[in-house]
Amino acid sequence: MKLGVFICHCGENIGRTVDCPAVAAACATIPGVDVAVDYKYMCSDPGQNLLINAIREHALDGVVVGSCSPHMHERTFRRACANAGLNPFMFEMANLREHCSWIHDRGPIPTAKAADLVRIAVEKVRRNDALIPIRVPVTKRALVIGAGIAGIQAALDIAGAGYEVVLVEKEPSIGGHMSQLSETFPTLDCSQCILTPRMVEVYQHPNIRLMSYSEVEKVDGYVGNFSVTIRRKARGVRAELCTGCGDCVQKCPIKKKATSEFDEGLAMRPAMYVPFPQAVPNIPVIDRAVCTYYRNGKCKACEKACGRGAIDFEQQDEMVTEEVGAIVVATGYRLYKVDGSSGYDGYGEYGYGRYPDVIDGLQFERIASASGPTGGEIERPSDHTVPKKIVFIQCVGSRDESKGISYCSKICCMYTAKHAMLYRHKVHDGEAYVFYMDIRSGGKGYDEFVRRAIEEDHVHYVRGRVSRIWQRDGKYIVRGEDTLAGVPVEVEADMVVLATAMIPQATAPRLAQTIGVPYDAHGFLVEAHPKLRPVESSTAGVFMAGACNSPRDIPESVAMASAAAAKTLVLFGSDVLEREPTVAHVDESTCAGCFRCQSVCAYSAISRKEIRNRDGSLRATVAYVNDGLCQGCGTCSATCPSKSVELVGFTGEQIYGEIHAMA
Amino acid sequence: MTESATNDIRAAARRLLADGTVSVVIGYGDAGPNRTVPIFARTAAQADRLVVSHSALNNLTVYLTRALRPVGGRIAIVAKGCDVRALVMLMSESQIAREDVYVIGVACAGVTTSMGQPMSAETVAAKCRDCIVRTPPLYDELVGVQCEPPATSDVLDRRIAEIEAMSAHERFDYWAAELELCTRCYACRQVCPLCYCTQCIVDRSVPQWIETSASPRANLSWNLTRAFHLAGRCVGCNECERACPAGIPLSLLNRQLAATALREFGYVPGIDPAAPALVGSYDLADREEYIR
Amino acid sequence: MNADVVDTGVVRAGVESAGDDNAGTGAAGAPWEPKVVAFVCNWCTYTGADLAGTSRLKQQPNARLIRVPCTGRIDPLFIIKAFESGADGVLVSGCHPADCHYGTGNYHARRRWTLFRSLLEFTGIDATRLHFSWVSASEGRKWVDVVDGVIDEARRQGPFERYHALARPEAMIDD
Repeated sequence: MKLGVFICHCGENIGRTVDCPAVAAACATIPGVDVAVDYKYMCSDPGQNLLINAIREHALDGVVVGSCSPHMHERTFRRACANAGLNPFMFEMANLREHCSWIHDRGPIPTAKAADLVRIAVEKVRRNDALIPIRVPVTKRALVIGAGIAGIQAALDIAGAGYEVVLVEKEPSIGGHMSQLSETFPTLDCSQCILTPRMVEVYQHPNIRLMSYSEVEKVDGYVGNFSVTIRRKARGVRAELCTGCGDCVQKCPIKKKATSEFDEGLAMRPAMYVPFPQAVPNIPVIDRAVCTYYRNGKCKACEKACGRGAIDFEQQDEMVTEEVGAIVVATGYRLYKVDGSSGYDGYGEYGYGRYPDVIDGLQFERIASASGPTGGEIERPSDHTVPKKIVFIQCVGSRDESKGISYCSKICCMYTAKHAMLYRHKVHDGEAYVFYMDIRSGGKGYDEFVRRAIEEDHVHYVRGRVSRIWQRDGKYIVRGEDTLAGVPVEVEADMVVLATAMIPQATAPRLAQTIGVPYDAHGFLVEAHPKLRPVESSTAGVFMAGACNSPRDIPESVAMASAAAAKTLVLFGSDVLEREPTVAHVDESTCAGCFRCQSVCAYSAISRKEIRNRDGSLRATVAYVNDGLCQGCGTCSATCPSKSVELVGFTGEQIYGEIHAMA
Repeated sequence: MTESATNDIRAAARRLLADGTVSVVIGYGDAGPNRTVPIFARTAAQADRLVVSHSALNNLTVYLTRALRPVGGRIAIVAKGCDVRALVMLMSESQIAREDVYVIGVACAGVTTSMGQPMSAETVAAKCRDCIVRTPPLYDELVGVQCEPPATSDVLDRRIAEIEAMSAHERFDYWAAELELCTRCYACRQVCPLCYCTQCIVDRSVPQWIETSASPRANLSWNLTRAFHLAGRCVGCNECERACPAGIPLSLLNRQLAATALREFGYVPGIDPAAPALVGSYDLADREEYIR
Repeated sequence: MNADVVDTGVVRAGVESAGDDNAGTGAAGAPWEPKVVAFVCNWCTYTGADLAGTSRLKQQPNARLIRVPCTGRIDPLFIIKAFESGADGVLVSGCHPADCHYGTGNYHARRRWTLFRSLLEFTGIDATRLHFSWVSASEGRKWVDVVDGVIDEARRQGPFERYHALARPEAMIDD
């Protein structure tokens, strides 16, 4: 092997402390080193030309540059090597500046150390292999899971760029929780008014294939090449024939057996139903659990009512497979239920589930909604009278380590202020009390919004927690503390609204496992880096947006969605994905198939591969590294006892060479 | 372990072979008074040589590892609790599927330190003292009667405590002296069921991480590496020490590391096949006060 | 510069230990200096060491850094080989928990270290010779403190005589 060593003076930075000509001369005596020179500025144009010419003239197989940190110029010199016709991975740098000349006083010592550092780099490059970037083809179609505001935004952005999007939503209609809201902070915009145009745009977009009432069952493959199996659940209605006339819903006699999910249990819905009037798609669904036909074969009123013959009782779930190159997860949130049904205990003392007028935030939204069960009138669920005093309690479940939810749910301070304001706007003689710990209103216009609630709408804000709610003489006694005044407080309320914590969907962990992305103890998806990579997961090609990652409000969810779309478009920007080849590689002849490597891989890059004999019988199952997913950390290699998996670019042989060079 | 256990083993083996459940029964064969040897019984006649006794010292699960496994059909294996723990490790490390092995568990009353000795308080193996698997954690059928072996002192833990109480230099000198006697025969590795790597690290020459010569320095590197590769995996069957022709107290190294695994991570290998590996999982609360 | 720095062999003598010789003077008559090998992760500690350099923080010259992508890559075999190759002290350093560029590499490394360290202590190679640290990319000052601390400790302990005495040079393959 013919090696070249180039010692850079870096002007005075190295040259003043380290005797560069002496180091070069010392390195000339290393076996295999054909060229050993020093130069003022190796990274400059003439410096790089020196390198390029030397590679060509001496037909060098490997190069070491002793100069600054590889973090500065490894890329520069690799490119120069490539220009000279030498594989860019047959190159190493010795850090003679940050790790030598800049930290020692001039004299023989830094010069000796510099020679040592170059010698170590020479022993590494001697054992380097020429590497070719890994090329992974990219299917330029995207899958967006979840069609709330975040999923809708991501789908519109990607589709708008000209790529096909498969948008999967598990509910019968898209829109998510935003479609349930009455008005949004801080503008008090009507939520559905700003959302439904987007929903229609999604429905009509030529590049968006909407699969509503569907769920992702299985995800195979890797970045650029995912194969996704989706279960399209049976509505009992043939979508291609349905005109959305609603006659079947009108005629369905089962009107009192099922509560409306959309109205958060505050109203009933028929067995044949559309979740809300503005639903997209406007195609009904049969709830087979309460429908008479599915229970005892009778009725069929909907089929008789349908003028188009669209009812199909025999319809089954259908499994479809889609090939996509990127996945955006936007599955959103649900609210913590104080009755224990969401998997967290606590706050039973507030009486939720026992007292019909103790409700949560989404239920209040439905009451306040013009299209809700009360037509927008603020009424008590129990007797439909107008409450004259409402108590709002913030931080129910959130910020409470002992209940298992240590984080802040971010939106509750804002929506509680909004709820109190909406109530005061509608019930002029009503009184609103808010029990709070802190007010978190950091967004644009947010603090002004809360001030408005306090100063213009005269909402009473009491700093303190509520210890208990009980009934007395037809009122709900809310007992808490005013910590600023230092006195206990009791409010006789007609209605209580709990700002319960935002938690991920119950199915979020299972979906994360299906896709192969990490999630935390709460079920939130984990981002690749909390500061610099907030919309990417650690699995290449899978992005995330909105509340599935952590509690967030609508503008942030929309921003994340567009960011995730941008990341997807970066991926789609080329036909082939080129990746650094410094990834792990398994020697199948020595792998004993213990798969300890698989258990330490943070990127699910290691899978099991069967090796078969010619007659088809199984010879062995060995580890296999997907070089489209491997990020090159090398943990697998250190874990493998027989070193059957090695990290290319940092192989055991290379590191051994470096260690031995210090002998 | 009684006569009836031996009869039970033979009957079980004959039955399993006759009805085709298994094609071979790996067990302990009678080799004279207080002696057994491993046998692969494929016929009824061979099955009649099987015994269960205090001399059933071998960890026969080593014959389930890929290179040594008999081919053709399901295998029955006679296994004491410590052996079954090794089998559980092999299963959790994908070396053998549960359905491919029929476990004849032995409810154990202890074994002797070496062959040729009747059981007594002087001859009982040190490992039997605090055995937690006198009834194996997993089996398809069970023979024998579990009972306490003769009481013996905690010689292993006392020796470990003695070494830990020495100064660093004294500890170094102790192990240097012991390992000077290692001839690198690799009997410890060969007899260990969990040393099943297709190519052992010591046999890898590019690069040669562990020098193959039997210098004390290379011996230290070899034995440290082998002990470390067994961290969270060694089940304490102590066959390595029994096999060592130089009488090196190898069990001390493995046992000390197992005590560390238990103390630091609450980890006991070889009980639950679904348990994640020790080195292969982590806890956010893992100790790190020694890290600056 | 001095003529004696031209030949690589003599250049090393000024910095490296006398190895198997008696403690005291090295080949060129200079006092013995310890040799420290540091295995560092690319994203945190190596960058932290760069920052120490950019900040011109003086430190002792006895350490040689070997860069790996992640502390997860560091096998105890490296540490053993470093001692065999003559290191008087070994340092292993990476990203703080939760900051690993690859998510979880340092958690696996940490567990490995706890076990390996326990084994080494049991055999008499203790915390005076083998050190671990978390140094982030912004902790240039900490890097200097850590590496100087390791070098000072190695100097205090002296050459690893006991260990070198175990070698049998005539039996070894030494490239």
